[in-house]
Order: sequence, then structure tokens, then C-alpha cells
Amino acid sequence: MIRFYIALWASKFAMWVYKLRGGERNDRPGLLAFKICPDFLKRISKPPLVICITGTNGKSTTSALVNNKLVSEGYKVSFNDWGANLYAGFALNLMRCVTIFNRSRYDASVLEADERTLDVSMGMIEPNYILVTNICKDSLRRNGHPEFIFDIVDRTFDILGDKTMAILNANDPISSQLAHNSRRVFYGMSDIKADPFENKVKDIAVCPYCGDYIRYNYRLYRHMGDFYCPTCDFKTPESKYYAKKVDLENRQMIVTENGQDTVYPLISDAVYNSYNVLSCIALLREIGREKEDIAEFLKSQQVTKIRETCVEYKGIKYYTYGAKSQNISAASTVFEYMAKEPSDKDVVLLLDELQDKNHPTETLTWLYETDYEFLNSPNIKKIIVGGHMFLNQKLRLLLAGIPEEKIVCVENEADIPQHVDREGIEKVYVLFEIDCLTKARNMRDAIVRKAKEEDTK
Amino acid sequence: MKKIELLFPELCNIYGESYNVEYLKRSNPDNIEVIETNHRDIPAFVKEGVDMVYLGCTTERKQEIIIEILKPYKERIKELIDKNVIFLITGNSVEIFGNYIKDEDRVIEALGIFDFYSERYMKKDRHNSQFIGKHEDLTLMGHRSQFSFAYGEFQNCFINIEKGIGMNKETKKEGIHVKNFFATYSLGPFLILNPYFAKQLLSTMGLDDKLCFEKEILEAYEYRLKELRRTIK
Repeated sequence: MIRFYIALWASKFAMWVYKLRGGERNDRPGLLAFKICPDFLKRISKPPLVICITGTNGKSTTSALVNNKLVSEGYKVSFNDWGANLYAGFALNLMRCVTIFNRSRYDASVLEADERTLDVSMGMIEPNYILVTNICKDSLRRNGHPEFIFDIVDRTFDILGDKTMAILNANDPISSQLAHNSRRVFYGMSDIKADPFENKVKDIAVCPYCGDYIRYNYRLYRHMGDFYCPTCDFKTPESKYYAKKVDLENRQMIVTENGQDTVYPLISDAVYNSYNVLSCIALLREIGREKEDIAEFLKSQQVTKIRETCVEYKGIKYYTYGAKSQNISAASTVFEYMAKEPSDKDVVLLLDELQDKNHPTETLTWLYETDYEFLNSPNIKKIIVGGHMFLNQKLRLLLAGIPEEKIVCVENEADIPQHVDREGIEKVYVLFEIDCLTKARNMRDAIVRKAKEEDTK
Repeated sequence: MKKIELLFPELCNIYGESYNVEYLKRSNPDNIEVIETNHRDIPAFVKEGVDMVYLGCTTERKQEIIIEILKPYKERIKELIDKNVIFLITGNSVEIFGNYIKDEDRVIEALGIFDFYSERYMKKDRHNSQFIGKHEDLTLMGHRSQFSFAYGEFQNCFINIEKGIGMNKETKKEGIHVKNFFATYSLGPFLILNPYFAKQLLSTMGLDDKLCFEKEILEAYEYRLKELRRTIK
């Protein structure tokens, strides 16, 4: 216990110093706490409501929505919205919730959590709810493959047992199989005629129980859909929260719950963001929020700026849009969105992974796991790629069948703006690896600046 | 017409491995037929003559399923290796051809075609690294991302590592090369990464070795090799 208090006080002091320096979101104090006291997460007092949101894709958007709702009600919420979704980030998140005497002073903690260490971290934290958005292909270096991640998340629920309620995606043949021994509820979606593209590399292809091929009554995106196995009883579980109608164009959906329908607004026109909203609704309903309150709240929400920003200049919209690159399921889904979003557009790819310092030269694998073929669409007028992978990117784009005249690949990213068109396009998307948000915004701004300079000449 | 058998793409295409075969096919579409065999079918190499067999990386659970699928055909595989049929095995599928795989207290009997064993370390961090090495006069690159390593003498290794590690952290011997059997831990599209080796395989099959987008792939190879030489520890 002494060790814990030393960790708490030392890290609180460090947090205070960082705050004075303007580094309130630096998670080093959390790391310090964890190093001094390895079971810090277990010993620290928790607020009355602790929510963990995990999964391969959608956890940032969903956890931001949940946090915003609680804050809008006047709750004092600690939320690791700065992307620190491992031990140090959790320690910092929970440390903010307690006094120096380890007494809880917050109403809730929202923990956006990476799946890779979930069993150890959540095993100690024991959250009231764990929402799993989905399990898809992610970076091979850290996450290996979906089966490996499934085992970690499933082990987490085994450790927690009945202490934690699982909120699961019924349409995901992988994550819907979690938490068989826990309390769990499902959310799911009807056939919204999403007409999803076929992914080259599948997250799951065969039944995990008998090995027969998984079939679908309908698919929504990637492996999400109404699935079943023709040989055994593996199938989509029944959803307590069921989106029976999704109108992407008018950005609303009707969710059926216990036979009653409620109309909820959506935050974007992308199918995957509809799932994020649906999962948020499921969680908020489970913690007792009223349907009408949730619907009203969602009217004011939009996609988090970490993922999407837009500026307009002379009738052209210039976006930054998170695509995650080596998280190939996210990148492929965004590529599909680029093809389906009907505007004529130029697409800039800023997908080099810069964070992995142990691997100065990226692997090629993700290029061939990601569906570059989706970019071969008439409304995508030009694809501009910069960075040290430019030659491999060019080869991949050519192999994807994209006409050479649509491809511009330059080694120096600073050369990108001069290749972006202004004639015959409505939008420019800068797709970026999420660790490079500032770089993406700078690139987008450079493209707009270049357009303005042309006009002043 | 040359026949390339792509084994179990529904299980063994987790890092874009199937592109190895697709790339060969696209390099010589008129003279290559690809036979895709799923895990519920009897492999084509059992019943008929094929010119090349490809098996890619898979998950640990699927790896065990594949061992059981291939066990009845162990002698046939040996026979085909003796007959100079090309085998290209990438990622952890190399372990299928060793004696056994250790996973904590479990020992999973493998095909035992080559004398080595593997050990999984699922609770440790995944090992990620890249390598540069020599196969005969070719310089090959590879990237590994794995939970397991292999141990043995590896006298018939595929690649002599110049930079990076081999089948485990203590050896510079990477993979297995016996006649036209090539196996490496390198995963993903190994032939895209190594176009000169792709050319060698086409030549071995008696085909024109001109590659699809040859200029672009060779430029990418040279750039990457130079970059990797500069950056790899």
C-alpha cells in the first residue's frame, strides 16, 4: 500500500508539473505510477461508472460520443482522448479521478482501450462496461492477426466474469463470439443495401467452430453482416438494439429496442460511423439514458476532429481524413468510402508509418492486404502519393488496375500540392496515418495555400 | 501451360500472401494456370502433376489444422520435392514442414520432412524485423513478424543473412532450400519484394521471366534495398 501511495503522489506531482508546462495530456505521469507500482490500476479507487471502449476500429469516435454525452449532463468525466490507450494512459485517466488520499472525486471514467493489453489492464481496472466495436485486421507488427486479438479480449471477459457487462457487435462474426460466460447485449444492423465491396484479404473466412465457409444473408462492410454457418449453429446473435433502417443520405437511423422504434441522427454518411453511433446508443441505453435524450444529444455531434476536418476554398472542399494505413481494415474501408462518396475528387495518400522507430523501412505487406483496387473508381480523378514508399505505392496502384495517368508518386511530400487539381473536382481528400494528424493538416493547408497563391498571381 | 497450386488461400492469406501467386500469373497470364485449393478439398498435387505449390502464412490455430490436412500427403510431398517441383512456403508455414512445434506445455507434431523444430512465444511481444541476405548470387530482402522461432542445424538454408536474423535470433541461416523447395519466415508478398527471385522461379518453370510492371518493380526493389542497407541495424 505504501508503494501505491508513493506512486500516486509522485505521479500526481509529475502531473502537476506537466500541467504547469502545458503538457496536461502527457501520459508520462501515468507511466511513472505504473513503474513504481505495477498494480496501480488495481489499487486506485475508481469512479462509480467506468466504461471501457475497445475494438480495432471505431473506438475513438465511439468513446468521444459517450464522453460528450456524459459531460453534457454535467458529469465530471476523465477521458483519455489524447490517444494514450495503454497502461500509462489508463493510469493517468484514473489518477485524475482521485484525491491524494485515493478518494474518488469524478463521476465517471471513459477509457478508450487498445485491445493488445486489455486482459492485464482491464483485469485490474474491472470496468462496469466493456464495449467492443469490432475485431478486424490491424497492424501485423503489434496485433498479429484477429484470432490473436480475439483470444486476448476473450481472456479479459473470462477474468472479469459477471463484474462487467459486455456490449457487442452482433454483425461481427469475430467479436460477437466474445464473453460467452459474461452478461452481454448485442447491437446490430438490418440490410441497408450497403452493397459492400469484396475485400481481398478476409478478416475471417471460415466458421471458428466447424471450419465450413461463413455465409451471409447480407453484408454491411468487410466481414460485418448477417452471417451464418451452413453446417453448425454459428450465426448472428439476436440484437437488443437493432438498426432496422439506416438512411445515410439524410443521416438518420431507426433503432428498434424491445419492439419500440426510435429515430436517431447520424454523425456522417459512412456505414462504419453508423455502427459507431449504434454502439454508443447501446451503451448509453444500458447505463440508463433515455432514448429521446440520446437522440437530442446526437443532433449536435460530429465526427471527431482527430479523424476528419474540412475547409472550403472557392467551391472545393479540402479534407483531412484518417485512414490508418497499416491498420489495413481501416484503410480499405476508407478507400471504399472514397469510391462510394460520389464527388469527383483528388486523393492524397500520406500513409507512411513514422512512429515505429524500430523499423525504419516499412514492410510491404499492408500494401497487399489493403484493397487499393477500390481506388480504381471514375470519381477519383487523381491519386497523389508522397514519401519514401512512393515507388512501392506506384507499383501497388498499377497492379490495382489504376490507369498510370491518374497516378502521381513523388519522393518528397512537399511536392504534392503542385499536383493537386482544381479543375473538374469538388473535393480533395488527404488520407493520413492517424499518428500524423498535424502533418496531414499542414499538407491540406499547403494545398489550399497553393490554390490561393495561384489566384493572387 | 504451367500449373501453380495455391494452397488454402482462405486460411493462408493473412498478410497478402496470395499476391505471390497472382503476381506470377499476371507476369505470364497465357502460360500459367492457378489452381486454388481450399482446406476441404484434396490438394491438386496429390492427384495430378503441378509445377509449383505455394503455401502462405497463417494463424496458429489454422497452422495446426493445416498440419492435420497435409499429414496424409507427407510422402507425396517428399516425392514431389525429389522430382524438383517448386515449393514456395512463406511465413510460419515453414514450421509445418519441421518435426514439431512447441507451445508452452503442448507439443504439436508437424510433418517432419525437415529436421528442425519451432517454439511459440505467444505471451511475449511479437518479433518484428527485416533482413537482407544472399541466395546464390541474388540479394533477397525479407520481413518477419512472428510469435515463434525455429531451431535446428539448417544446413540447407535458403538465405544466408547479411543483415538481420535467421530462423532464430542466434543464427544467420534463414529458411530451407532443398532442390526447388524454398521456405522462409518472410511473410506477405515475398515475390513482390524480391522480383529477381520471381524471375528465377519463372525461369525454373521454363517460362519467359519478364515480369508484370517490370520496370516499376525493379526500381522499387533497388530503392528499397538501398534504403534497407542504410537503415537496418
